[in-house]
Amino acid sequence: MGTAFFELRGISKYFAKVIANKDVSFSIQRGEVLALLGENGAGKSTIMKILYGLYKADEGELLKDGKEIKIDSPKEAMELGISMIQQHFSLVPAHTVTENIILGNVKGVIDYKLFREEIKRLAELYGFELNPNDYIRDLAVGVQQKVEILKALYQKTNLLIMDEPTAVLTPQEAENLMGFVRDFTAQGNSVIFITHKLKEVMSVADRIIVMRAGRVYGDIKRAETNELELSKLMIGRDLNWVTKDDRQESLDQEVRLEIQHVTVQEKTGVPALKDISLTLHKGEILGIAGVSGNGQQELCEIVCGAILPTKGRVLLDGEDITERKIRARIDLGIGYVPADRSSDGMIMDMSIAENMLLKSSYDKKWQKRGFIDKEKLNQYALQEIRDYSIKAPSPETIARGLSGGNQQKVVLAREVGNGEKVIVFDQPTRGLDLGAVNHIHQVILKERAKGKSVLLVSTELAEIFALSDRIAILYKGEIQGVFKSAELTTEKIGLLMAGFRKGEVSNHAG
Amino acid sequence: MQAKLRDLLITNILAIVLGLVASGLMLLFLGKNPVNAYSVLITSVVRDGYTFADIFVKATPLMFTALAFAFTYKANLYNIGAQGQFYIGAVIAAAGSLLLQNILPGWLVLIITLLLTIVGGGLWGAFIGFVKAKYNSNEFLVSMMSTYVALAIMNYSLRTFLMETKAEYPQTDALAASVWLPRIIPGTRLHIGFVLAVLACVGVWVLLYKTTLGYRIRAVGYNAGAAEMSGINAKKLYILAFFISGALAGMAGFTEVNGVQHMLVQGFNPDLGAAGIGIAILANGNPIGIIFAAVLFGALKVGGTIMGQMSGIPSSIIELMQGFVMVFVILSYFVRTWLENNREKRKLRKAVAK
Repeated sequence: MGTAFFELRGISKYFAKVIANKDVSFSIQRGEVLALLGENGAGKSTIMKILYGLYKADEGELLKDGKEIKIDSPKEAMELGISMIQQHFSLVPAHTVTENIILGNVKGVIDYKLFREEIKRLAELYGFELNPNDYIRDLAVGVQQKVEILKALYQKTNLLIMDEPTAVLTPQEAENLMGFVRDFTAQGNSVIFITHKLKEVMSVADRIIVMRAGRVYGDIKRAETNELELSKLMIGRDLNWVTKDDRQESLDQEVRLEIQHVTVQEKTGVPALKDISLTLHKGEILGIAGVSGNGQQELCEIVCGAILPTKGRVLLDGEDITERKIRARIDLGIGYVPADRSSDGMIMDMSIAENMLLKSSYDKKWQKRGFIDKEKLNQYALQEIRDYSIKAPSPETIARGLSGGNQQKVVLAREVGNGEKVIVFDQPTRGLDLGAVNHIHQVILKERAKGKSVLLVSTELAEIFALSDRIAILYKGEIQGVFKSAELTTEKIGLLMAGFRKGEVSNHAG
Repeated sequence: MQAKLRDLLITNILAIVLGLVASGLMLLFLGKNPVNAYSVLITSVVRDGYTFADIFVKATPLMFTALAFAFTYKANLYNIGAQGQFYIGAVIAAAGSLLLQNILPGWLVLIITLLLTIVGGGLWGAFIGFVKAKYNSNEFLVSMMSTYVALAIMNYSLRTFLMETKAEYPQTDALAASVWLPRIIPGTRLHIGFVLAVLACVGVWVLLYKTTLGYRIRAVGYNAGAAEMSGINAKKLYILAFFISGALAGMAGFTEVNGVQHMLVQGFNPDLGAAGIGIAILANGNPIGIIFAAVLFGALKVGGTIMGQMSGIPSSIIELMQGFVMVFVILSYFVRTWLENNREKRKLRKAVAK
């Protein structure tokens, strides 16, 4: 096999209170696609940030072509031919494609014409449809990713690191990306893929590094493994997956929530939601599929009262609640688990108990003689910590110190308690490890069995299919159609998510 | 926990010592012997009870203005207009006392005046919160500018209806002794306002950490988005937080006029607001910490006056000292975090090595 292109030897990295990486060693060959597989918090991103010069390792060494190297900054990494595309893109929205790509690589007077031509040529070479004059803010997320890739190519990258690149893409866009990865590596370049999606790994990787709790637990050729083995390595135990068998037919039950012809006009004048009508029955899970940013958040906020519709009505048990504000809707029994828990769902600098109080601080039941009844609150929080198996030493633990999965369980516990009638879940499992995902899915199904109505927004099709009784597809603020979950296939739903209409889909996908 | 407390004590004491050493160097530049100066300072503070008690007299209004800054700070708002709220409180305290002192018994006048300053300072502050909530104006700028308006109101009233009978200086007549705040220790200037200030610190702590209102204020301060999402009306809380903040600063006007000056003098105590911000930062916004930080600043202030009386030492040396102490105390936060991080890292490595 010869000398490895890049090699990591015995890398360890300690953050205060956490071991991010311990004795991590692996190598990457020229022309190879390496997948870095692991749950969130397994240390995948950290080890790559060390390779990219964003973090400094506490122990261990890096080698290129067998020679030891030092990488202290992304600039030095780029000089060695390493580029990394972060999960959150680092593009300037107010600049054009060209300006973003040459950012940091130009001096003095800029010859735009020359650069534009160069970028156009590069884009054509890899079959990217891109206009160098477009502003980043006008581009879809998938296209923005292409700009990031072009930026790396422009810097003559030999090793491209991508952190969860398909998280924001439609299935079709993801397929295109895989195509690019194959082309790129065919020319002797290497790619490292950070991911927790097994399917992706099996379709594109040559070799797979499995990480768990900051250590390497497997270094396997793709051809010599299967998804089952990988998932076991990744979580270190077997999981009982929820199946559709324990669900019963529910559609004939009475209607709980009705959304009638709701339109939400953004300040810019572009409607975020266009004439949406949906009904949600008792004991039903309605899945909302779609690429993120197509009106999902607005839909959730309409239901929980954070925004009021420009047009249309919202009914709960036949009562018009369109004008009711958030606090009134909490009292009516509508729970909401927002997509971004750190900004909308919880207060990171407060304790678990205090976070439990967040939506019911006006409720007299938590007060004793005008003061917060801390004993009662702590007891309640302790019970929830046990019920939801939240890993925390006490109710006084500050939320920031918990892992993402445990933070999400805190929000979940609170909202399941608040939402006596309807619970809205917006991406409830995004970025969580499989153990937590499984637990959350079980909670959702349990609440459904109790007769609660669930609105489940997710970009993970597997999740939508595993839980939903019916599925609605949202595209650019419009409902593309509502289906029973058995009526849909992954391919069909993918086309609907990409903007094809119900009628057109049957022509394309049959 | 033990280690944390040890760090807190050691780093803070070290910071104060370093502050004194640094200002001592400045004395050296002036050709004065710092050891000499400091020993005179310490002996004169300890020597007589009057000077020692004055430390707490100086600390009293500082606690109020520091609380005013700290309270809004908990809601992630910046009230840097405590000086103005203090002046409004002072004007109301003087006007109320002068108006009522011949009509009602002294103790009743004091209670009514206190309530009036609370309401007056509170409303003056609430205005800042109101324009923030209603028009999303920058509370930092509005509170800063409101100080100048308050100062103008003070000047106006001292030239018109509050002007002394002699009409010579921009100040009021002296308050009747019946409406002076009672002294706690005879023979000193220490008045009951100090107790009021300590109670205010404890009260604010209870309000912030033991009641649902304080809980909501802190929730809005940490994460306004999540609080709004949870049905908490952040805008209403902005106004309320500024009301309480203004009321606290206004109370400083009451204790200074009725407890120390016994009259209203134009533009007195011009640095209370700024010092209050410093104290609040020194105490990391903790109401109980403010008690100690304010006493430290009071001591520096008294010390400065004494040093100013020594030959050849400018009294501004004490502001330098305050500055140095603050810089080092703030640096000590970072040192503590660094110590804490290292300790955790060492623990982790030990655990891994096993």
